[in-house]
Amino acid sequence: MLEPMAREYKPQGFEFLFVYTREAHPGERYGSHRSMEQKLAHAQAFKERGQVERPILVDDLLGTGHKMYGTLPNMTYIIGRSGRVLFRSDWTDPSTIELVLNYLLNVRARRRAGERLAGFYAEFMGYRNVDPVKFQQGLEVAGPQAVEDFARTMQRWTSQGKPPSRLEG
Amino acid sequence: MIEQQEIEEYNYSVFEGKEDFTGFRTLLQVGSSALDFPATLLETGETVKLSDYWHKQDVVIEFGSHT
Repeated sequence: MLEPMAREYKPQGFEFLFVYTREAHPGERYGSHRSMEQKLAHAQAFKERGQVERPILVDDLLGTGHKMYGTLPNMTYIIGRSGRVLFRSDWTDPSTIELVLNYLLNVRARRRAGERLAGFYAEFMGYRNVDPVKFQQGLEVAGPQAVEDFARTMQRWTSQGKPPSRLEG
Repeated sequence: MIEQQEIEEYNYSVFEGKEDFTGFRTLLQVGSSALDFPATLLETGETVKLSDYWHKQDVVIEFGSHT
């Protein structure tokens, strides 16, 4: 949940958006989208349940925007005023985002102080909290089908070694 | 007809864990130009573009859904 961070960093010149995509774990209560009205209603329910204050941009039914950015269930991107991608991660993790925002604030301060800075490419391994109980509760919101589908997929991943999204290290 | 098929493929009705995490690593890398797309702003119903926001300030964008 990025709402507290959005409140803290917005006055420092960062806008926070949420792009509403397909349902990652469709179930009886929140099924796969077949109309924009349905998708908008799900986005509204998400906003109310999560008390989301950030602007929610609802992608079209074909997932045009979602596909451009990688089609993963919970990615984060930071885009600068230059229109360049400054950061991206295949999962959303508040502590990782905060680290980057503080780094960007530091870059701004150094530039204001007259330092000459050149951009360069960098990568690092992120570490996110894993909370199976909370995740299970999220699946239950969607409905029993979502719980069963995930359990079946998890069994397959376990037999193959690990979930495909997980890095070792 | 084709569009309806694409809608149903994208909006799968059964989660099978087919997301391509490896493919993500080579797509739209840091330093590249962000891609723009229109979307519906939930609050007002109006159509906006992602660039409407990044032209004003740095933007943190989370992608996700209720489920």
